Amino acid sequence: MTAKPDPLIHPITRLSICGLLAAGADWVEFAALRDAAGISDSVLSKQSRVLEDAGYVEVRKGAVGRRPRTWFRLTAEGRQAVEGHLAWLAQLEEAFSASTRDVRQARPLPGDRDQPRRVLPPLLGSS
Amino acid sequence: MGDVARDPAALELLRVQRARLADRMRLPWWYLAGSAILCALVFAGPFSSRYLPQGVPTWPIFVAAVAVACLMQWGLTRVTGIKLPFRNLRYRPGRPVGITILVVFLAASETEFLLIGRDLIVAAIAVAALAVVAEMACLQAALRVTRRELRGGGGAA
Repeated sequence: MTAKPDPLIHPITRLSICGLLAAGADWVEFAALRDAAGISDSVLSKQSRVLEDAGYVEVRKGAVGRRPRTWFRLTAEGRQAVEGHLAWLAQLEEAFSASTRDVRQARPLPGDRDQPRRVLPPLLGSS
Repeated sequence: MGDVARDPAALELLRVQRARLADRMRLPWWYLAGSAILCALVFAGPFSSRYLPQGVPTWPIFVAAVAVACLMQWGLTRVTGIKLPFRNLRYRPGRPVGITILVVFLAASETEFLLIGRDLIVAAIAVAALAVVAEMACLQAALRVTRRELRGGGGAA
């Protein structure tokens, strides 16, 4: 699997939907997906249609009694795209936390004299 | 892709959402009760072969038990809103629990046959009861594995 960003699933709502569908379940029901993602019915309907049109998500509609039931699952293409995008995000997170760690080490807390300074302060006013 | 600075936060949000999805995987009381009854039926098998009169077929009970198990699985999928893929022993995270279920089943059945053969009926009933308890504990452990996998993303970051 190659870590690469996918512009289609980069928006946070679509990333949530795809990330939840890639969590290990085969099919996830509409209400379960909506509640876990914390989005409204209309947003889920709209975004899932975009993903379905792109061939990333498979939709199965049925009914239990009079109540309609919609189930979602990732297609093979969708799973590949999500895994690549999540790997890219994980790399980004790693780089982000590494840079934050470097900044913390470079700026010691006030009064912390034992902390070595890795970045020299700008020499203002020195001739 | 302008909001790159917010991407690590997106990953953190996804972890929270996956934890929320995993929390839906709870066994309802009727599923636990039904599973315990099915287990008890399975471990009552060695008694039936000895105490039922000859010629009484046991396969209708077996077919009914399988039908009830399928019905319970369908009900669980409906209640949780999550349909899990079929997993056999090749599924690595669930392998220890799967092997334990098999070992408990084989060991308890063999012990029951031995004890019934020696007319130690009370001991055989005790073994069957313990086996049901052990199988139910394994069911809970399997559910914990499933929840952990859903939280972790089942391999995807």
